[in-house]
Amino acid sequence: MIVLGIDTSGYTNAVGIVDGDKVLADFAYEAKMDSLQRIVADIDATLKDAGLALSDVEGIGVGLGPGSWTGIRVGVTVGKMLAFASGKPVCGVPTLEVLAFTARDGSRPICSIIKVGAGDAVYAACYHPEGDFLDRIGDYYVGDVKGLTGMLTGSTVLAGKDVKEYARVIRKESGTNVKAVEAAPGGAVVACLAAQRFARGEKDDVLSLTPLYLKESTAKAFVNKYKRGHA
Amino acid sequence: MLVLGIETSCDETAAALVADGKDILSNIVATQFDLLKKYGGVVPEIAARRHTELIGYTVEEALDKAGKTLDDVEAVAVSSMQGLIGCLMVGVAAAKSISYARGLPLIGVHHVEGHIFANRLSNPDLPFPHVCLTVSGGHTLLLYVKEESSYELLGTTLDDAAGEAFDKTAKFLGILYADRNTGGGRAIDELSRKGDRLAFNFPRPMLRNKTYDFSFSGLKTSVINMFKDRIAAGKKLPLADIAASFQEAVVDVLVVKTLRAADEYGVKAVSVTGGVSANSRLRSAFEDACAAKGVAVYFPSLSLCTDNAAMIAAAGHARLMRGEVSGLRLNVVPNSPLEGLDERDIN
Repeated sequence: MIVLGIDTSGYTNAVGIVDGDKVLADFAYEAKMDSLQRIVADIDATLKDAGLALSDVEGIGVGLGPGSWTGIRVGVTVGKMLAFASGKPVCGVPTLEVLAFTARDGSRPICSIIKVGAGDAVYAACYHPEGDFLDRIGDYYVGDVKGLTGMLTGSTVLAGKDVKEYARVIRKESGTNVKAVEAAPGGAVVACLAAQRFARGEKDDVLSLTPLYLKESTAKAFVNKYKRGHA
Repeated sequence: MLVLGIETSCDETAAALVADGKDILSNIVATQFDLLKKYGGVVPEIAARRHTELIGYTVEEALDKAGKTLDDVEAVAVSSMQGLIGCLMVGVAAAKSISYARGLPLIGVHHVEGHIFANRLSNPDLPFPHVCLTVSGGHTLLLYVKEESSYELLGTTLDDAAGEAFDKTAKFLGILYADRNTGGGRAIDELSRKGDRLAFNFPRPMLRNKTYDFSFSGLKTSVINMFKDRIAAGKKLPLADIAASFQEAVVDVLVVKTLRAADEYGVKAVSVTGGVSANSRLRSAFEDACAAKGVAVYFPSLSLCTDNAAMIAAAGHARLMRGEVSGLRLNVVPNSPLEGLDERDIN
């Protein structure tokens, strides 16, 4: 099955194409607040480079985030509306799972991490490899890296951007030595994970597909400003 | 030529099907009223999240209501200029995707140009040149419209938009009803009908100022101060009279300056558009003033006054007819001057 995968949730924007086990294209670039401007043109170029048209694509995979709220919205809206307009099925894939899949190492558990904007907090999730698949263990986590220590063992692989620094913090906090593996969300991995779901007969409802923000917007600051005489 | 219009520039997710730039086959608007009430205004991040949730459903409903499918759509027009950046992005992302998947031309539209076209949709006989007053929650602009898509900005608000002044005053007066889908403008309009618009003489900001600019935040402050003074003096607070008098001050300034512009530019037609153009007192005041001067006045139908996608489809259609098409790299421009639009690359 030819599957197109995209992810615009973070530092890199990615477009990939797989056909069953084969990677036909895997294009990524450093995002510079230009994902909206580029993404559809990049999808078109990636398809053309692989000798394909959108009509050849049989399913669409979309990275759901977490990450940049604006970035995720671009990817998810493009993914679902491409699916809607072309009549293809769509599958959302959490970006944390994409990172974990990229960094998987035998049967070692994986904890993938994405930084929350500015500040020290992180989004995280833990996964356990089950054959070709990944099972998430427990809930998504949002908070300080130190709060993760209870979920990690010496055999855990930490996956994400700049994770060596987080591994250092964890070692200092709990003495646990985790293996740090740099990983970025790739389009081909998104496509691959979506293909797994399609093969199991799973797909998402096109119109209701929404981002995985994991964090509410801070409306309080706005409300306070409004009350303080700016009204 | 069937155009799908998409509009997500502020807090309304809208989609519409318009044929030949003039026949509205469907006009769907999903308003985020519950969120407005909760936060007292538009929180851009929350609005953008809602757009993402609603955009697919809104487009599908527009197609269903029109009895059409994407096979029938021949072009996609989307608000890409002027509005909240995160909100605009959702509409543009959706429009681009539909355009690419179907091989349809894509046209980025300036949101305010949409409002100007809203009046052409309702009044195909609206002549050129004319003076156009666009008044909404987000904009107050006075324009000289020489010919189609040729705009000269005469004046704008220096602070609050007129619609914003209505919303904030309604909120201050406590007349926003939690159980009804009514914005501040409509609440004041309805309450004012029971009040005496001459009961209080609020200042008419910048009425005698030589420019065509407006200012409304000072007027709102006057209402608040008068309110506090009356409470301190133990006097009654006749809300209907206060609302009607506030409304009269806004209407007065808008009518007088628009007609002054019409006079200076020698036009015989005035177009009043945008959400505030739905106001019944504004309409009757303009009708009276224009009749006295022998000038024709045009308003959009009520459903086309507030933000909608039919106006975007109509504006997009006009641009498409002139061969102005955007590419797949169409980006959003949150702050985009209307002037010189015809000379700028809309990509």
